[in-house]
Amino acid sequence: MTPDRDDLAFLGAARLAELVRARKVSPVELVQMYLARIETLDGRLRAYITVLPEAALEAARRAEAAVMRGETLGALHGVPYAVKDQFDTAGVRTTCGSRILEAHVPAGSATAVRRLDAAGGILLGKLNLTEFALGGTQRFPFGQPRNPWNLDHDPGGSSSGSGIAVAAALCAAALGEDTGGSVRSPASWCGVVGLRPTWGRVSRQGSFPLSWSMDAAGPLTRTVEDAALLLRAIAGHDPEDPLTSRRPVPDYSTTLRDGVKGVRVGLIRELTFGPSTDAEMRDAVVETGRRLEGLGATVEETSLPLVPLAGAIFMALADSDGAGLHQRWLRSRPADYDQGTRRRLLTASLIPAAAYHQAARARALLRAQLRAALDRHDMLLCPTAHQAAPLIAAGQAPITSREQVAGRFFARRSYVTPAALAGVPALALPCGFTRAGLPLSAQLLGRPFEEATILRAAHAYEQQVDWSTRRPPMEGSR
Amino acid sequence: MTELTPEHVAATAAALGLPVTPDDIAEVTHRLNALLEALAPLAELPLHTIEPFPVLPDEP
Repeated sequence: MTPDRDDLAFLGAARLAELVRARKVSPVELVQMYLARIETLDGRLRAYITVLPEAALEAARRAEAAVMRGETLGALHGVPYAVKDQFDTAGVRTTCGSRILEAHVPAGSATAVRRLDAAGGILLGKLNLTEFALGGTQRFPFGQPRNPWNLDHDPGGSSSGSGIAVAAALCAAALGEDTGGSVRSPASWCGVVGLRPTWGRVSRQGSFPLSWSMDAAGPLTRTVEDAALLLRAIAGHDPEDPLTSRRPVPDYSTTLRDGVKGVRVGLIRELTFGPSTDAEMRDAVVETGRRLEGLGATVEETSLPLVPLAGAIFMALADSDGAGLHQRWLRSRPADYDQGTRRRLLTASLIPAAAYHQAARARALLRAQLRAALDRHDMLLCPTAHQAAPLIAAGQAPITSREQVAGRFFARRSYVTPAALAGVPALALPCGFTRAGLPLSAQLLGRPFEEATILRAAHAYEQQVDWSTRRPPMEGSR
Repeated sequence: MTELTPEHVAATAAALGLPVTPDDIAEVTHRLNALLEALAPLAELPLHTIEPFPVLPDEP
């Protein structure tokens, strides 16, 4: 039986691709459905910067014709998706969330976008983000993105629109970019799955850079199966990004249902039970561990003493990289940056070289600690964030003390930056809701190139709970 | 650790030709002091024997 229109929107990429292949639903119908939802809901949510109705409908008509001709279809054939406006799209404005690039129209598309198209995906539009994917934007040039679970709350960043659009079913799946948590943070706060692949697994070509040694494109999806599907589509060596790995890309779907019997999970003590972690988040992650144990995994605490410093180490390195990239515009067009972005880049421009060098060495030590833990365990478990989504207003308050900076920027980044600093894959997995109805999220970290292991553990957990079937209460928002 | 003052920050930014406005100075000073304070514990670690690792994807 074909689900009704509203149910269809929330099915996710894998299920929609099945329905298209079975000719139970038309790609044109899917595109029209998502365009109607965007029209109804996005006035408040502000997930999209640019919507592409004509191009998407034209692509859908071609996709429908291919189905009717009985052609061989890609894994995402006819599935409407959207991408963070950090990825180049041929002939389509790519702003990176900044006034500085508001008229920028690239000639070509990013490799990851081209691969999603080659798999049959239909691009619906470009998604909102914090300016230049930095985080800390005070005034969003293309509208304030809002959390679908509560419009007064932050959707997370920097792939804000990607998290919103998937949670609110304004597309079937989305592509984000994660330098230091930019896929996993919005996935966490919006209650969807977010996967940061191993650094070098996915091409960075055509994605506006922030930190060359940490930038990683990754999917935000409704289900773990969808994340596996999108990762397979975008992963693999790219001659245009010589630092991509030449390792073959596995078919993650073949091991997705293998379960977690005998899998050794290390629960990161400092992040799960540390003083910054909210009790509801802690309890939900501990319960996730218990669920995994119930499925046959072994879970034991493990210590990574350096992770509480990861946020500051990350900002010393990544912000310095960002400041280097932005020097020309920072000097020639300072007023065109959002105030929060400009002040963050100015700060990074003044970081002493000795501090940068020390942070680079500390990164190596943290990486060694994390990888040693991954020798003892098959994967690591911890919260994706220290708390559920805060109020938008909390991030917009003026900064008047160094304590405020530490609280707002360093502590929360220590949950997502260890994986970025170590170059290992990490997945944000919905694991419950607060009493106030905001999503909670567990994070699974794996060994390099062992995305399959964390995907199958996440999938096994997901089958035990109903978090991914819940819908945010924003129907009719305008 | 020496705490940077707004005057230090303004002077360094000016020397580097950075367009820091008087409105930016206080916040940039808080941000920079917070970061340097957060990094201070690294001085206690045995980092002198550690080389920053080469960033290359792991190959088979």
